[in-house]
Parts: sequence; structure tokens; C-alpha cells
Amino acid sequence: MAHSEMNSALPRNPIAALLHPWTWRMAWRDSRSQRARLVIFSLAIVAGVAALVSIHSLKESVQQGINTQAKSLLGSDLMVSSREPIRDEDAAKLNRYATRSSRETSLSSMMFFPSTNGARLVQVRAIDGAFPFYGKVKTEPAGAWQKIQQEKGVLLEPALLDQFRVKVGDTVKLGSAELPILGVVTDPAPQSSRFSGFAPEVYLGRNQLEATGLMGVASMSTHLMQLKLPAGTDAVALKKKLQEDFADAPWRLETPEDRQQNLGDALDNFQRFLAIIALAALVLGAIGVAGAVHAHINKRVPVIAILRCLGCPGNVAFGIYLIQAAVLGLIGALLGAAVGIGLQVSVLTFFAGDLPFEIPIAPQWGVVLQTTAAGFGVCCGFALIPLLKIRRISPAATLRGGAMLAGRNWLAATPVYLLLAGLLVLLSIPGDSNWKRALAMVAGLAGAFLVLLLVAKCLTWLSRKLVRPSWPYLLRQGISNLHRPHNQTVLFLLSLGLGTFLLVTILLTGNLLKGKLSVSQLAESPNLYLIDVQPDQEPGVREVVKNQGLPVLESAPMVTMRIASIRGIPVQDLLKEKKVPRWLARREFRSTFRTELNSTETLMDGEWKTQRDGADAPAPVSLEEGIAKDLGVKVGDSITMDVQGVPIETQVTSIRQVDWSKFNLNFFMVFTPDVLADAPGFHVVTTKAPDAAASGNLQRELVRGFPNVTAIDLAVVLETIRKIVDGISQVISVLAGFTLLAAIPILTGTFLNGRDLRVRESVLLRTLGASARQVRIILLIEYAALGFLSAVTGLALAVGANAVLATRVFKASPWPDFWILAAAFAVTTGLSILGGILLGRGVNKTSPLEILRSGV
Amino acid sequence: MSSASSNPEIGRKQGPVLEVRGLRKTYGSGDRELTVLKEIDLQLAAGDTCAIIGPSGSGKTTLLGLCAGLDDASAGSVLLDGQAVEALSQDARAALRNRLVGFVFQNFQLIPTLTALENVLVPLELRGETGRRKDAEAILGDVGLSKRLGHYPLQLSGGEQQRVALARAFIHRPKILFADEPTGNLDAETSAPIVDMLFRLNREAGTALVLVTHDPGLAAKARRVIKMGAGTIISEEENGAL
Repeated sequence: MAHSEMNSALPRNPIAALLHPWTWRMAWRDSRSQRARLVIFSLAIVAGVAALVSIHSLKESVQQGINTQAKSLLGSDLMVSSREPIRDEDAAKLNRYATRSSRETSLSSMMFFPSTNGARLVQVRAIDGAFPFYGKVKTEPAGAWQKIQQEKGVLLEPALLDQFRVKVGDTVKLGSAELPILGVVTDPAPQSSRFSGFAPEVYLGRNQLEATGLMGVASMSTHLMQLKLPAGTDAVALKKKLQEDFADAPWRLETPEDRQQNLGDALDNFQRFLAIIALAALVLGAIGVAGAVHAHINKRVPVIAILRCLGCPGNVAFGIYLIQAAVLGLIGALLGAAVGIGLQVSVLTFFAGDLPFEIPIAPQWGVVLQTTAAGFGVCCGFALIPLLKIRRISPAATLRGGAMLAGRNWLAATPVYLLLAGLLVLLSIPGDSNWKRALAMVAGLAGAFLVLLLVAKCLTWLSRKLVRPSWPYLLRQGISNLHRPHNQTVLFLLSLGLGTFLLVTILLTGNLLKGKLSVSQLAESPNLYLIDVQPDQEPGVREVVKNQGLPVLESAPMVTMRIASIRGIPVQDLLKEKKVPRWLARREFRSTFRTELNSTETLMDGEWKTQRDGADAPAPVSLEEGIAKDLGVKVGDSITMDVQGVPIETQVTSIRQVDWSKFNLNFFMVFTPDVLADAPGFHVVTTKAPDAAASGNLQRELVRGFPNVTAIDLAVVLETIRKIVDGISQVISVLAGFTLLAAIPILTGTFLNGRDLRVRESVLLRTLGASARQVRIILLIEYAALGFLSAVTGLALAVGANAVLATRVFKASPWPDFWILAAAFAVTTGLSILGGILLGRGVNKTSPLEILRSGV
Repeated sequence: MSSASSNPEIGRKQGPVLEVRGLRKTYGSGDRELTVLKEIDLQLAAGDTCAIIGPSGSGKTTLLGLCAGLDDASAGSVLLDGQAVEALSQDARAALRNRLVGFVFQNFQLIPTLTALENVLVPLELRGETGRRKDAEAILGDVGLSKRLGHYPLQLSGGEQQRVALARAFIHRPKILFADEPTGNLDAETSAPIVDMLFRLNREAGTALVLVTHDPGLAAKARRVIKMGAGTIISEEENGAL
């Protein structure tokens, strides 16, 4: 049989069918009476893409802001630091890569306050050039920062003025130089490391350092060179190149990226949250689109059956509706992109004054293009799920009325679902550099989808079994709608349930993240460290702190030590083989001993030991996970420590994760008390002073009774960090709010799907004599049941997802906020009931004759 | 009004345009299996006319759907112009229908988003024939709708919609036309000219006609009348001798 002879002129090949002019013409003609409905479908895409574009654009803007902030934390694009002076010829070589540079020499020295006869160990920072290149140093009076480059004089931290009762204009003595106080620094210059000094900072021009005579005797100076690189230079790549070119130089190189990592968990969590929120927005929009397309195709089943009956190839019929979906999708995506840009710019403009970042208020065109394309692609992908059913519409539907889209052919649809899952994974990876986490998120979504499907099937089965003839008619009718042919139970639960799940997960996660970032938590962080407290002085220092009305937040013993060997191999040998970083091998570790983990530590591996297993057993040591990674050791490995000349055999018994962002007393190595209790060391006591005056008063009192105790005031540093986390917290709230936008298409799609069938049934009931109230109650019961179950299942899934994200990703409490759950339950069920009520009103406003004649 | 149409001799020489052998259709499975058609054999020559009558649920419409390749039989075979329908893919069947078959339905089945003229043009457009607008206008004029070319189905009366359906069914000169209760939705006054048109076009185009109807008057106009009951052919008579 020669099939080719029977071929109609319209092609059967899907691509040729899609490109055929008649397919396009028919797509246009078919849209004639459907344009209002198609506009709603288009609006669904507008909302989805708008949410996607605004979230990604904001993410990019915030990222740029964070990058700038990280740069301002470093003050430059690349910092070179060294314990030895940077030679002029090396500085000249470094200058070739930079557009501007600045040099700094810092050292510890005593500063004398002649007017009050006081003295204090300070960190002297002698700076030249226009440093910082990013961010600003704020002084009182303004302009004092520039003044120290031209005039003789110093800038001090406010606490020093309080402590020694001096004021701007008074003279201080630094080394052999007498220098006037030109002002105080309220926002300090970026530091070479977070704890660059154990003393208050004093700034002066680098050209004045020689006059102090300090360089001649100070052997513990640090030399920095800060570089501003030409725009577009890859600082990380340059850092690598310099490390190779200057392999013998004892330099430490740092880029803003390194500094950004040092900001701690806050930014990591923020990035992870953005990845989740972006994926959720994408899926929310896509579900809405799938629902809207399903509703549209369902209404076109009779037309498709006629076309098939008249000889239209399946691929042409499919092509007609694919074109409609794609064209409207494209228009929707472009409009969505415009709305998204508008939202992004509006939010940035609105929050500009409140955010500590300098965020560029401009569209992120690259991101807009990418996300619009991705949103369009994913929406079209999800639209394929209902569109592919077109091929299964039988022409026999022309002979019998009431034909609707067939149910899912799971086997045939599996490749589409796999394709969509793959697409989502691909789109998730740029949002989260950890591909396993991206995969887990998509797998979680698939799991939620299956759970909702199962619940829907159970509800269908249960409603069939439960309904009894003895029930009141309206209740029976409403519940029976859940299992009758062409019921909307599965579609409703999948769309509204999945929507609830995603939105509530976003809200819960955003909430836990905000809680983790909350200023109140940071407010509990210490801001004043008292070091060099001798063991016998510890009770006395505690007393002084308490007498000042300040809390003693922590008190920890500290013992200094070095690494002698790892797994029996001397550290010098490991260094030669480059198996450990040089800085690590030479580092003097300040370790502590205690029996409990503190609130900022999480045990990641091994067992937390409180004492040595036996007199001959190696000393148990718990390592911070980063240092364990750098040393290349794991639980069970042996390390020999040199504790001030005494070798101690240790065994790594546990690995801890430490949240350094809280500024609590934390240590790379923690021992059991029985190992180090007798070792020579000192204590560190931390407290929190509410203001500079309180800090000054405490330091004055300490100098009287405990002159050897040094106070480190971190108030200014903490305030900077507080501003950053506060800003992030605000942006999280805004982004979580944006995902609500993406819920609009879901609601639209869900209600459109059920509308036609229910309207026809309800009109028939009205024709047969049912009152408007009876019709409303039937619809109310059905939609309340669907809304209730969608809400309960969606919320249960969200609570589970939140628990997993909290414990596995964000290291936070897994307990959800009850009020978010309660509000989400009320809103989901309420919206569903509202949908039922509106449908009931629509039915009562529609003429039965109109419906019966049009054969909706 | 013409009597039963008859020029089947030519068709007999050419071979049957429709041949049905041992056709069976069941729904469901196991204990819930329902047989709606059993062991149907039928032949129709080119240009011949045949009416299928019987009570509701006797399997008339199911038989028509199977003959036109709209549905799949559970057993047996349908040959349209010598082509075994069951051996063809859905697309190949669609192409076969487009080439050989015309349809008229009880509920007209016009595409609501197309005008009368566009509805008539669809079968031609599906086979890639463009530039046949004049033919479509002519056939619509032939059925008395020359002034209703740009109207949408909802703007036409039931009789007018069925006349558009007739024009659509004959525009591509099919070898066989299946009509499912073509006057079922129309009153007697509106039905008469539709029936006349149906048989006139049948004669002029040499199209074989399969009519499913409850109307004995309409059935009497066909050369053969097949009476169905409980899914089988009860009787078959010729020349309106019902």
C-alpha cells in the first residue's frame, strides 16, 4: 500500500507542519473567539516572567552591590601584604598592573597622652595615596582623612578619646614624634584582616612615620600595597599570576572575593536562598502556564476533532496550538520582562536609601535577556504537557458531544517530564554552584509533585467510597464532583498544592534566614575582647566588667602552639612537598580547651571528647573544618603539636563547622581540659559595650587594676557587618514578596480549568430547577474540599522542605513559623472558596439558553 | 422530489467504495465488557445510497464512525476505496478521509471561529489546494448562502449551518459521504431543502451516501435501507420497499 499517495498536501513532519503557512493561518483564525482567554494565558506568562526577571535582576544588582561592598571591605582590587618591606623594584612591577596604588606600614606601638599622663598600646597605620579606592573613610571633622596626607598629625578611634579624656587638637606622643589629634575615625579604613590588630587604630601619613623613629626598632611591622586595577581585570587570575611570578616573595595576596568569603555564612545563605527563590518563581510561572494551556486546549477539543475528521494531520493540529502558545508566550515574556525591569528598578529606587550597598539602579540587560529566554523556554516546555495530548484527540469526538482532553498517558509523557526536569536542573546550576544541591532541589520538586498526585488520587478514591445516598443532596453533589468523570481534583491539587508548597517554602525559608541574620542575634555578639588576662586575674577582670554594668559573655583559656608534624611527617618535610600551605605550617595557633561545643559550632564528623581516653592515649583534638581541609587531615589522623617547646601527641577526634560571622570566641583547635589545663597561657574575656563611652570607661578601669590586659574594641567593625546583614534581610523580604506575583498564573490556570465544565453542569442544574443558592453551595463544597486539601498537602510539604533546607543547607532551626503556616492555610483555602463563590455568581448571571446553545 | 438515487452499476464494475467485513466493537473488558457492534458485513458501490436505521443504542453511529475511520474496531475490517482503514496510522486515515470522505453531522460541527466560507474551504486547504475561493463561493451559492459567506456559525440558523456543512462535505467531491442524522436538529420545513440538496449533490458528484437516520421518509430516499438492532444488522432492503 502506497501511503505516500494518500498524503494530504499538509505535511506530517512536525517541523514542516509547524512552518506551514496554513498552520499559522489556522492558529490566527482559531484565536478569534478565544482572544480574551488567551490574553489571560498571556498574563499568566507576564506574571511568571516578571517575577523571574525581577528576582534575577535584583539578584544580579545585589550581587554587584555585594561585590562592591566586598571591594570596599578590602578597599582595593588586590592587596599585597608582607612581614618584610616590599622592595621598590617589586612595587614598581606591581604598579604596572594597576591604575592607582597605595602603600601602608602598620605596627604596634605605645602611644602617650601627655595631657592625662596615660599610655596605650595602639596599632599604628601609616598610609599614603588615595586609599581606600572603594568605600569611604568617615571622620569627624569631615575631611580629616585627606588632611593626614598633607599635615602632621594623627586620627584616633573615638574610644581612645573617651578613655584618655582627650579631644581633637590635643597632642599625643608616638615614638619620638609629638603629633596633634586631627580628628576621629567613625568609619575606619578597610583592615588588612578582620583582626588585624589587638589594639585601637591610629592613622597618620606614611611620610610621617620616619619622624616617629618607630621603624628603626620595630621588627613586627606589616607592609601592604593596595592596587586598583583597570576595569575588567580579573583580580583572581592576576593574584594567581603574581603568586607564580613572585613565588619567593613572602607575600600574602587578597582579592575582594577572598574578603567576600570572609563575610561568613550570611552571604552564602543569601545566595542559596536566591537560587531557591528563582527556581520556585520559574516553576510557579510554568505550572500556571501549563494550567492555562490545558484549559484552552480543553475548550478546543471539538474543533480539533473536526479538523482531524476533515483530514488534518495530527502534527498540524498540534502545530496550530503550539504556535498560539509560543506567540502568546513570547508576547507575554516580553511584557513580563518589561514589568520585571520596572519592578526591579522601582524596588531599588525605593530601598536605595536603606541599603548599605551601593546598588546600581539600572536594568541588568544580560540577565533580562537570559531570564526572559529561560522563562519563555520553560513555560513553552510546560505548555507541551497539555499540548502533546492534542495528538490523542479522536476524530470520533465529532460524533458524541462533551469530549474533553484525555487523561495523562504517563509513559508517553515521561520523556517530556524528564526533559523539563533536565531543563530545570540546567537552569538551577547557575543559581547554585553546587550541582548536587541544584539536583536535590529539582528532585524535591518532583517528589512534591508525586506526593500531590498520590493525595489527589486518594481523594478521588475516597470521595467515591465515602459518599452515601443518605447524605444531603447538596453535600453529596459537591463531594461527588471530586471523583466524577472529568473531575478537576488532580489538576487542582497539582497546581494549587504545588503553588502553596513553593510559596510557603519560600516564606518559611526567608523567615528562618532573616532570623539567622537578625540584628538581635548580632546584637548579642561581643564587641569588646579583653586579652592577656592571666589565669589568676580572670575573676578580678570579670568583677570589673560586671561593676561597669556590662555582661561577661565569654571567658576562654588560650594556649599558643605550633604544628610539629602531621601523621608522623615533620611539617618542614610537608612544606617542601607543598602538602600544606606555608602560612599554616608557620602559624602560631591560639587554642583553647573546654568540654562543650558553643552555640556557633556544629559537629560535622567524629565524636566530641571531654577527656583523654587514657593516660597513654593521644590527646583528643577537635579541628575547625576549614583548617582540617587545609591540613589535609581527617578524623583519626595524628598531629604532633609543639606547645611552647613541649611536644604533645594528638589525634583528630572530631571536625567542627564554625559560624565565624557571630564574632564569638572561636578556635581552630579545641582540646580537652585535662590536656592543656597546666600549659602556660592566658584568658580572653568578652563583653558587649553599648557605646563608645561605656567601652572607654571599662578600659580605664581595667588599666588601673590590670595594666597588662589589652582591650580590643570591635564596635565599629560590628556596626559595618550589622548594616550588611540588615540590608540582606530587607532584600530577602522583597524577593520573597515577588514570588507571590508568580502565584497569579497558578490561580488563573487552576480556575480556568474547572470553569467551563462546572458552568455547564451548574446551568443544567439551574435549568432543571436548582436555586441559585443550591448551585452556589454545591460549588462551595467542592472548592472548599479542594482548597482545604491543597492547602494541607502543600503546607505539609513546605514544612518538610523547610526542615530539610534548615538542617542541611542553612544550619538553622527547622521549626516553621506558625503564623506563616496559619496565614498560608487561610489564604489558600480562602482563595479556593472565593473561586467557587465567583463561579457560582457567574453561573447565576449567565443565561442557561446561551450556554445550552453555545454548547460550552 | 427525486426517488432513490441509483447509478450503482458503474460502482459495481469499479469495485465497492466501502467494504465492511466481520466488524465488531466492544467497550471495557472482563465482566464489564459491552459489545455495541457484532459481525457486521456491508458493501457499498460508488454512487450508491444507503440508509442505516434503527432504535437508539442499536449501534448506527458507532458503525458510521468505524466506516469513516474515526474510531478503531475491536475486530473485523473496513476498506475504503480498497484501503484497509485499520492498517493505517491516524494521520494516514486523516489523509484518506480528506481525499475520499465527506461528513455531515446532526450538530453540524462547523468550526465556530471560521466564517461560512472559511469552513467550506478547510478540506481544500488541508489538501494544499489554494485559489479555490470561487468554487467555495459557488457551492455556498448553490446551497443558497451566497449572502452569508462572511458569517460565523453562531450568526447562522440551524438550517443555514447544516447547508454550510453540506457545502463543506461536497467541496472536495468525496467518493463517499457519511451523514449522521443530518436533519435530526432541524424541523420538517427546514429539513426538506437540505435533504433535496444532499441527494442532488450526491447525484451530481457521483458520491456514495451513507445516512444514519431515525426518519423513515429520509431513509426511503436511499436505494438500500439497513435496519439495525442490538449491534447487528436485522434486515436489508432495497428501493425504499421498507
